[in-house]
Amino acid sequence: MGAQKTGLLRTPWFQLTLALVAVVLLVVAPLLLPIPVNQTLARIGVFAVAVLGLNVIMGYTGQVSLGQIFFLGLGAYVTAYGVENGWNIALVFLAAVVIPGVVGLIVALAAARLGGLAIAMVTIALPIIGVPLAKRLSDVTGGSQGISARFSSAPDWTGLANDQWQYYLVLAIGGISFLLVFNLVRGKYGRAFRIVKENEAVAGAMGISPYRYKVLAFTIASMVGGVSGFLYMVVVQYTSPETLAFHHSISLLAAMVVGGAGSIIGSLIGGIYYVLVPNFTNEVAPTLTSLIQGAILLLVLFILPGGIASLPRVLRRWTGRSSRSSPPASSPPEASAPSSDPSPSTPPNTSPSTSSTTPPSTASVKEDSP
Amino acid sequence: MAARLTLADVNLHFGGVTVLKDVGFTVEPGTVLGLVGPNGAGKTSLFNCISGHYRPSSGSIRIDDAEISQTRPAGMSRHGLARTFQHPALQLESTVLDNVLLGGHARLPGGPASWAVRLPPMVRSERELRAEALDRLEELGLGWAAHRSADELSHGLHKGVELCRALMARPQVLLLDEPAAGLSHGEVDSFIQTIHGLKAAGEITLVIVEHHMGVISALADRVVVLNHGSKLMEGTACQAQSDPRVIEAYLGKDSMDSNDSTDTRDGIGDDAA
Repeated sequence: MGAQKTGLLRTPWFQLTLALVAVVLLVVAPLLLPIPVNQTLARIGVFAVAVLGLNVIMGYTGQVSLGQIFFLGLGAYVTAYGVENGWNIALVFLAAVVIPGVVGLIVALAAARLGGLAIAMVTIALPIIGVPLAKRLSDVTGGSQGISARFSSAPDWTGLANDQWQYYLVLAIGGISFLLVFNLVRGKYGRAFRIVKENEAVAGAMGISPYRYKVLAFTIASMVGGVSGFLYMVVVQYTSPETLAFHHSISLLAAMVVGGAGSIIGSLIGGIYYVLVPNFTNEVAPTLTSLIQGAILLLVLFILPGGIASLPRVLRRWTGRSSRSSPPASSPPEASAPSSDPSPSTPPNTSPSTSSTTPPSTASVKEDSP
Repeated sequence: MAARLTLADVNLHFGGVTVLKDVGFTVEPGTVLGLVGPNGAGKTSLFNCISGHYRPSSGSIRIDDAEISQTRPAGMSRHGLARTFQHPALQLESTVLDNVLLGGHARLPGGPASWAVRLPPMVRSERELRAEALDRLEELGLGWAAHRSADELSHGLHKGVELCRALMARPQVLLLDEPAAGLSHGEVDSFIQTIHGLKAAGEITLVIVEHHMGVISALADRVVVLNHGSKLMEGTACQAQSDPRVIEAYLGKDSMDSNDSTDTRDGIGDDAA
């Protein structure tokens, strides 16, 4: 029964319909919702993109990065500077992506040589250096006061309110970012990132240079961070040294872990967590926000170590276990390895009888997997 | 096409410890070389030198005419070299198919940007690689497991998946590190069949590190015996098993006196497997 249900969930038609419904809902929603809700949704989009970037380097490639907020901040400052100086908005966007990307590349070229914790230490330095730097370079950054840039008011021809226009900008740019990263991590590069995370020796044997792929992942993460910085300015329209403070990096990290490391949907959930949970805890008990957030983090990690995005997989395993626990007779072929000679045409490892009684989709799972 | 693998005077030192000393041999194209020796003889270290995971202190390693002793592991696929590991290092969370697809990584075209926008040639190459991976799995009798998560499979099947992954690189030279360790009798038989199939196709040169003397006898055209990091002898499997120096290396001098030769021969296999 459980298998049938997940079977339906996995048909392409069902998934396509679901995706279409989601898109329609996302497009229609801001027209019906009140202003504060739209703003909150847009903020979720901003931080979902930031978490997405963090996921590329950390969730997929396994390199601890504590500097993601720096790239968001850098993207925001570049955007503000460009708008202040009257650049074309397309150019502003390009700069907000490329400049963090170049900085990320330079940092990664040095940091990826150091393995393990060293890369984490280097990335900690980014926001720690970034904050005083943003205060000092007041000509460019506006110093401690910060800098504001209004460029995301709704054009007249749209007939939209500002909050709706900003929401749509975030939806479009964020959506494209998610799509591009999703495409990247499900093919050649996703597999390469994952093997670099799990086993560098094997990665090397597959023709994958761990160093080059770490640099690549870090650069992509920085560029996606830059995109989120641009979107931050679309929504918030103001940035200050506080934007790139180190503790935000930790919050992003927590959001990624709660959402699901190495998961695209997890990034979105991470964005929701990042924005909504502080709001929620503020409502519940303003003096205990950190405590409640910590408790939520621990609770999620305790129940779902893979993050909220791993919930369907965990459920599937549970339902699969209970429905499969009865028939141990049709276990995988190796349990009844052929003692007689396999005929020349028979592929090795599988005796024909067992393979025919073991349909791949519903076959029993070996319970004592190592 | 199969390539010739040539090692000459390969030395490897870790600090003051000599791990490999003047090791040299040639594996002719399309043949199988068995690399045997007691635990700690330096077999896996030698593999790591060939595959670039260790850099030899001196000496030369060539695939056909290309010198590879200073090449990094990731550069080896360009020279047509692939390897498996003593402990199958699969991505347990991924499906078997994804694990196998990883082996074809170096054959896929395109940079990150073209994959992010899914250019048609990328989509096509991915689809072709997928079809090939499924065929390969089917050939090795693992087709049924393609969409299973790798952690659902047994150790023996992991070895099969790893072999499949290495073959996806279409190597000219393939290094197998203890491919039969921990396999059941049936699995060992089918492994031998698989390698015979590869040999018959004549497209791969194979080097096999293995303690299971049955496997070595069945597959190896030549055998190189390592002991304490040096080459003890080179010859056929039969010669190796009857060579008193080899028996001594495995069992020590005393046991050689007290056992007859057939016992000793079995002992070589059992002791290490």
